[in-house]
Amino acid sequence: MTLIIDGPPPSGDPGPQGPDTTDPSTEPWTARTNWIVRVLAGVSLASVAATVWLGLWVTPPDKVQGNLVRLVYIHPPIAWVALYLAFGIAAGSSVLWLWPRTRRVAWDRLAASSMEVGTVFTGLTLVTGAIWGRPTWGVWWAWDARLTSTALLLVLQLGYLALRRIPGDPDARARRCAVGAVIAAVDVPIVHFSVNWWRTLHQGATVLNANLSPTIHGAMAWTLLLGFVSLTLAFAWMLVVRYRIQVLSDRLEGADLETALAERWSEGEQ
Amino acid sequence: MSEQLMAPSPPAPADGSGGDGRRPAPAPRHPRWRLIVVGAVLVGAFGFLLAKGLGGSLDYFETVDQAVHAKVMLGTKTFRLEGLVVPGTVHRSPSGVNFVAAGSKDRVHVINTGNPPELFQPDIPVVVVGHFVGDTFVSNQIIVDHSSQYVAKYPNRVKAPNGSTR
Repeated sequence: MTLIIDGPPPSGDPGPQGPDTTDPSTEPWTARTNWIVRVLAGVSLASVAATVWLGLWVTPPDKVQGNLVRLVYIHPPIAWVALYLAFGIAAGSSVLWLWPRTRRVAWDRLAASSMEVGTVFTGLTLVTGAIWGRPTWGVWWAWDARLTSTALLLVLQLGYLALRRIPGDPDARARRCAVGAVIAAVDVPIVHFSVNWWRTLHQGATVLNANLSPTIHGAMAWTLLLGFVSLTLAFAWMLVVRYRIQVLSDRLEGADLETALAERWSEGEQ
Repeated sequence: MSEQLMAPSPPAPADGSGGDGRRPAPAPRHPRWRLIVVGAVLVGAFGFLLAKGLGGSLDYFETVDQAVHAKVMLGTKTFRLEGLVVPGTVHRSPSGVNFVAAGSKDRVHVINTGNPPELFQPDIPVVVVGHFVGDTFVSNQIIVDHSSQYVAKYPNRVKAPNGSTR
């Protein structure tokens, strides 16, 4: 992916995170990549629409929750993206950046992009959970281990994004962000296993339970599966677009640095 | 990289004027104090969440069996009690609802003030917030602790002519 998106590496690259001196006005994607991204956007939006249609109009009401069950087609898939996909990619990319043999600027960009999109999904996880919790549990929020550790995850993600905005050397920024992402990833298994380790108000896993035997059946199960697929596709689309923005942002930063250097050199020559 | 930036110019004096009357270097886009404030807010939020969620107890409730076993120790302390609403014991009144909550061995009579949530019904696990008064648990909040199982309400419903089964 990065080979297509990044284009040729800048000449005289001073390091894995050095300034990207490619012209910022140049489109970083090839026409073929643009076409693939458009197809991905169309498929993800169509699958999300299909999930909403099946979830609201086709699937039956639940025996206990009635029509409130329809949030199951949205809330767990959003949480899946936030917790496992986005954070997994961010932490994995960070490890690949920290490992000297695999260190590439692309891993830092991917980690940053995934963490930023993932933060939106974590926020949505908490919001949809609260909307579901109010009519079912009777409360918007409960300080149980699952909800608290998820809120903690959001704070850690915001902390990561704040780290990225500290000005300074791009290499140093990439290093501290990668370390931060790896440390923050410790919270992910805590969120996942919290419902098994402690007595929580939040129910246990429906799909990824201990027996790997989903406790949801028929049309409800298929719609939930479609929800997972559609939200995964939507995340992939957002991630690719965010990555492109990161490439352009790095180029602008590199161009700013080049201009500043040129100004300084001309000042020195006077 | 910063060394490259500084190389052509002599070191700037301590007053930050640039020394030779030239324009001083532009201030960074994000002042340091702003980052410190953001950092302090995030650390504060982290600490608050840690203390609130994990500091007290990692378990959200006591089961009926645990509460009955530790009844003397609990005294009149307010805590969350979890049990199954026993069918046939639910009695609604203008002020609230009374029922029996069951654990695997023990049972507790609950008197709740206020309206229960929409999903409150017999044979469903609930968490009630309150304290013991004698052998009765007096609560002012009911939280429904539903399971992770999802089953169609009318699995054998006959299809309508338009194909709908809802």
